[in-house]
Amino acid sequence: MKTIARSKAAWVAEALRQFERPLLRYAAGITGDAELARDVVQETFLKLCTADRAQVDGHLAAWLHTVVRNHALNVRKKESRMAPLLDEHAVPQADGGSGPGIEADRNETHRLIADTIRELPPDQQEACRLKFHNGLTYREISEVMGVSLGTVSNLIAGALDLLRRRLRTVLDPVREA
Amino acid sequence: MSNKLDHEKLTALVLGELDADNQTHISEEVESDSELRTLAKELREAANLTREVYASEPDLQLDTAQREQVMREATAQPPVSKPRRVSSKESRAGWRWWALRLVPATALVALLVVLILPLLVRPLESARRGSPADLANELALSARMAETDATEERYHAGNVRAEAEQWAMQAVEQMKARGYSASVNGGPRTPSLQDVKVGGEIRVKGNFYGQDINGLPPTGQASYFAKPDGTASPYDDPARNYWPGHNTEAYANIVENPFKRVTDEALSTFSIDVDTASYSNVRRFLEQGMLPPPDAVRIEELVNYFDYDYAPPEDRSKPFTAHVTVAGCPWNADHRLVRIGLKGWEMVKSERPASNLVFLIDVSGSMQPENKLPLVRRALRLLVRQLDERDRVAMVVYAGNSGLVLPSTPGNERKKIFRAIDHLDAGGSTNGGQGIQLAYRVAVENFLDGGVNRVILATDGDFNVGITNEGDLTRLIEEKAKSGVFLTVLGFGLGNLKDATMEKLADKGNGNYAYIDTLNEARKVLVEQMSGTLVTIAKDVKIQIEFNPARVGAYRLIGYENRVLAAQDFNDDTKDAGEIGAGHTVTALYEIVPAGAPVEAPSVDPLRYQQATGLSDAATSGELMTLKLRYKAPDGDTSKLLTFPVRDAGLGWEQADPDFKFAAAVASFGMLLRNSAHKGSATFDTVRTWAEAGLGDDPSGYRAEFLDLVGKSKTLTGK
Repeated sequence: MKTIARSKAAWVAEALRQFERPLLRYAAGITGDAELARDVVQETFLKLCTADRAQVDGHLAAWLHTVVRNHALNVRKKESRMAPLLDEHAVPQADGGSGPGIEADRNETHRLIADTIRELPPDQQEACRLKFHNGLTYREISEVMGVSLGTVSNLIAGALDLLRRRLRTVLDPVREA
Repeated sequence: MSNKLDHEKLTALVLGELDADNQTHISEEVESDSELRTLAKELREAANLTREVYASEPDLQLDTAQREQVMREATAQPPVSKPRRVSSKESRAGWRWWALRLVPATALVALLVVLILPLLVRPLESARRGSPADLANELALSARMAETDATEERYHAGNVRAEAEQWAMQAVEQMKARGYSASVNGGPRTPSLQDVKVGGEIRVKGNFYGQDINGLPPTGQASYFAKPDGTASPYDDPARNYWPGHNTEAYANIVENPFKRVTDEALSTFSIDVDTASYSNVRRFLEQGMLPPPDAVRIEELVNYFDYDYAPPEDRSKPFTAHVTVAGCPWNADHRLVRIGLKGWEMVKSERPASNLVFLIDVSGSMQPENKLPLVRRALRLLVRQLDERDRVAMVVYAGNSGLVLPSTPGNERKKIFRAIDHLDAGGSTNGGQGIQLAYRVAVENFLDGGVNRVILATDGDFNVGITNEGDLTRLIEEKAKSGVFLTVLGFGLGNLKDATMEKLADKGNGNYAYIDTLNEARKVLVEQMSGTLVTIAKDVKIQIEFNPARVGAYRLIGYENRVLAAQDFNDDTKDAGEIGAGHTVTALYEIVPAGAPVEAPSVDPLRYQQATGLSDAATSGELMTLKLRYKAPDGDTSKLLTFPVRDAGLGWEQADPDFKFAAAVASFGMLLRNSAHKGSATFDTVRTWAEAGLGDDPSGYRAEFLDLVGKSKTLTGK
């Protein structure tokens, strides 16, 4: 019994180590609030503790992201219902939801990329975050977002191509002209 | 290349999303077409830059309380009851309040820029995301910590002070804008508040105190000189060892003991050390995903963290037994390893003498975080539960002012003691000096003859008001030790730990030092080892080895670098040395180069006017060495001498006992973490193998945990 408990603790600790931060960012992108994101992610890990490990092993990343996503969407729904009542707690609408929360004084290229991502439609933003920040595979993203593999491929290829073209105007303006 | 399908395939190729067949096929196609090659390259750049952009977002973490709750749930035995969730808002309220209280201190503005940033970020990750040091640098710059070309006149006129205040506040705003809570911390908490005069000008330094969004303790610190051209550069204080990226944790530099030729120096003398703090500290680093700074790795403390099964003395006429084993050296097949093991007699808990304990508790602002004062409270409760009516407990707190919060109280009046513990609150600055004076006075006033009289200092080691001079402080402690009151130092917290100071204090105060990072560690130190931590059975225990040049070419003491004594100190009873407590084991290892084998030690030219005198008769006895021990009774002034000749029975590594193997593995682990020149053929893999061979029963699970740490180190170093 003891060894089971210990190895479960190790399993959860490893999951925390690996996914805590990317999950928080992902959740914050959906809820638009760091505090809510923390509660969502804690809830997710608590759920992991009681989950049947056999069901989760092998697709831990997809499992965690799916739970975070569902939970964060619920929270957002609840918060947006409450917002009009509690003005001071109204969540300031982050421009573009899951766009990168980057500071303005980074270098120009980074700013260009951040701005471009924020212009993308929400599902494309979400796919980009899951791919480039959380490091999920196409298959995992399709599982988490509940869309087909083809859609994921399309979303990401489209986004990356736009980013590439925007970058070219900065990195190689002569050629573009 | 406007074909959508090609873009998707190309993107999938660049992102490694193709299966093996397609991968080969498409990359061949790309290779053969220059336009496609360019496109793939651009996509790859775009992907990398996008990753960078995401990675440079401000870091988000769970609150410590939230993470702890998850881990509690993970270790809970099923069926699991649902614990109350700690809301992140709730758990941070305390810190916010404290930060508010600090703000007025701005007026005291400091002269040294200290940027404190969370360094909990794992280094591997931080390398990807932009290191905290980079962030600090950036903040320093963005806060326009421009040098005000201050002359001494301007400084005295007060202009500079106002300017410093202004840009310190700007830095705070910058931190806040980035999602960090921050406040300006006025002078008192600065470890080395000073005017920095460069040429004719005083460089004005602001003092800046930040906390990450999770309310985690500030765990990193970066100091910057602001230069006249408006840029900032890292403040380089040679007296401190910043790690990694300017941490304030200060560790004394350790220069490893070299191999010494027996013909040059036949005697090796050192004081024993039962401290184990370095191990918990190393564990803390590794568990956070960082390698410990080499100087935080004290090999003897790693080795002594573990109990070894040495036979205790049969009766109490001798306080401890000595065991010497010689076997093969696992990391160098040509060398031999000598293990010296001491074991103090074990005291049954009920035989424990009465204790007169004075807790001296640091309640300065830096003790606020959960792993400090709250952990102190829990640790104290654990200890107090072990006490009874024969014991006395008092509590002194120190911060800006020192005060007796619990007068000496019988140990069975727990309610009263617990109430005092519950009322401990952090706030204010530290004046360790006054508090120590008061604590010793209370201890002396309640002195128990034949009992344990001890001041237990709980601190993060940040003594910085009043007696800040380390020399003065250690002299004070040394002076107080003569009263017969010993000192235990418990180090708490991270990020601000003055490891070397605390160890020295414990040393000079005839005491011991432990680093407490978790409640488990508190239990180990205060409860499981209570008889050991609190009852000294012999003091000033010194070891001297005389090596026989007929058998030993050179030798090296592994660890104990700060415990090495001069040969003549061995017989000098005025020279202080380590204490051994009831039930303690002490282990020391020597690596030996047998006579005739090649020696790595530098040699000196033969003397022109002297020649080596011959060997004594005993040299032909076949003895490897002689072990000599000196110790005093806890209340004695005169030492006793024990002498044991040692032979090498030619034991191979494989034949060595499990404890021998485990201790060797731990020492080797320490050498790897220190990147020692003497690590030989060892790798984290061999350490693991050796430790596994020495695992034994491991009832406490501490040895299994060691294996975990070896695995973590291997991952972190990639070796």
